[in-house]
Amino acid sequence: MQVDIRNRPSFANLLVQFQPGDRIIAEAGAMATMSSNVEMKTRLNGGFFGALARRFLGSESIFINEFSASSAGEMVLTQAFPGDMVCTELRGNTLFLQPGAFIACEPGVRLALGWAGIRSWIAGEGLFRLKLSGNGRLWFGAYGAIFDREITGEHIVDSGHLVAYEPSISINVGMAGGIFTSFFSGEGLITRVRGQGKIYMQSRSFDGLAAWTNAHLW
Amino acid sequence: MSTSRESFEGGVFHESIPNGRAGATISIARGELVADTTGEPSQRFTIPLSQCKLDLGGASGRMVFCRTSDGSLTIFCEDRNFAKELDFQSGGVFASQLQALKKGQRAEASRFHFWLAVSAVALAALLILGYYSILGAAKVAIRALPVSVDQTIGNTAFNSMDVGRKLDSNHPASKLVEEIVDKLKPHAKIPDMKFKVTVVEGKDINAFALPGGQIVVYTALIKEAKSAEQIAGVLAHEMSHATLRHGIERIGQSIGVIAAIQLLVGDVGGLLALGGQVAQTSILTSYSRTAETEADLEGVRMLHAAKIDPQAMAEFFKMLEEKMGDLPDAVAWISTHPQHETRVENINNHKKTLESIEYEPLKLDLKAAQDAL
Repeated sequence: MQVDIRNRPSFANLLVQFQPGDRIIAEAGAMATMSSNVEMKTRLNGGFFGALARRFLGSESIFINEFSASSAGEMVLTQAFPGDMVCTELRGNTLFLQPGAFIACEPGVRLALGWAGIRSWIAGEGLFRLKLSGNGRLWFGAYGAIFDREITGEHIVDSGHLVAYEPSISINVGMAGGIFTSFFSGEGLITRVRGQGKIYMQSRSFDGLAAWTNAHLW
Repeated sequence: MSTSRESFEGGVFHESIPNGRAGATISIARGELVADTTGEPSQRFTIPLSQCKLDLGGASGRMVFCRTSDGSLTIFCEDRNFAKELDFQSGGVFASQLQALKKGQRAEASRFHFWLAVSAVALAALLILGYYSILGAAKVAIRALPVSVDQTIGNTAFNSMDVGRKLDSNHPASKLVEEIVDKLKPHAKIPDMKFKVTVVEGKDINAFALPGGQIVVYTALIKEAKSAEQIAGVLAHEMSHATLRHGIERIGQSIGVIAAIQLLVGDVGGLLALGGQVAQTSILTSYSRTAETEADLEGVRMLHAAKIDPQAMAEFFKMLEEKMGDLPDAVAWISTHPQHETRVENINNHKKTLESIEYEPLKLDLKAAQDAL
């Protein structure tokens, strides 16, 4: 199975080219177009309650779709907002994704919803996070461009910009500066990531878009 | 040194692995930390326990990192038993290191919780402050509106209300209440307010005032009254609601509250639509207890100025208190009005502060009006 990310970075989408027997799991609603010989099977995202939890707490769909092809075929997967996508491969390690970032993965990858905690919530990253573990490639998207960084020690990310991180990274909320600076610099709260591992960030944030839109409503 | 009985799920960071990281099975054997990566082909990494630099952290806060001194190789594990096993296998060398790391984490956690609590309190204070400043602003803005607005709103509300069958204005009961209102009118706080009183058939001992001077009296109230002065007491109370502009103030406050909520939520679109609805419900629902007490005292002042004994107002409330026991319809009225006992007390206390004058009994035929009902 060959998967290419096309039209990067603004309107990235996945072109999946199936060889006979290939399978891929995708977020419900991500499929934009596919060959008629590609078969789609819909199943609950984990168990029933797990799926419900992922839908309501993690902003993922209750259902996920498994696509397979008995002969060669192709399919395009997209995301709802404009932005880039990346591919990463799990080799027995784990990656946490922010709600809504997941697009697709190979069948060897397990999906689970985990409690992210109050700190994550205050940092604008949601109370829950999607935990992907196992072996295989996975694709996720973001609003705007995606850039990653290998962290050793501490790094600061503005709230709402963190898309994915490894479990070896801890998340702490902090103020951008003193109380005055934090309030008037427009940065407010920031996220301090600490530890060793990789983080993925998005160049735009939904909060930023919402604030910008609000400012133009009057 | 022994070999660990169990192995743990964890991972490795090393530049020789594709992507620089992989999941691994970790065990402790012969004084070495051993990690076998789970991917194909499996790679083996080892760190002698004596060279292991420990760290604690990760997303869960309990991931144990074991690094070589140059930092090129890291083996990490989140398993709860890993730290114990590590300590056991090293002969207690790591115990103090782990203790110190945990202590640091706890200190940071309590700092975080402290700031969380402070922020929550500050946010709550800000919300409460915002709420009351909007209420206050609404009150000031409402006071600035001309009285004609009260009249327009009151008339609109009255016309759209289904109050029940209205008595003819020539009916003796209508004439009675109108005469009382005429007697009280010159002493109203707002001299040019146009009072209009309507008698409506109803089984509740009740009367209400709409903004601008529209007053509705139920026939049951007239039937139950022991004297014309008692009716005058109730009418003075209701007229005071109008002259003190309680109705319009309430509308303003309700809209103010909704405006506050909408400001917080960020949606202003529905504000106007809601305003109309709130106007109606806030007129129909009763006034606050403070407003009732204010109307009582202002009513006493009006009665006194009109040379009608305010004692009748107190008498009427006393009678209501006795009646209410077997009048379930009036339950709503009691619940929103101050306790009759305190009301009577307040009225009497206020009466004492007024200069004592000779009160004139009302020369009105209550009996004839009651018989005509």
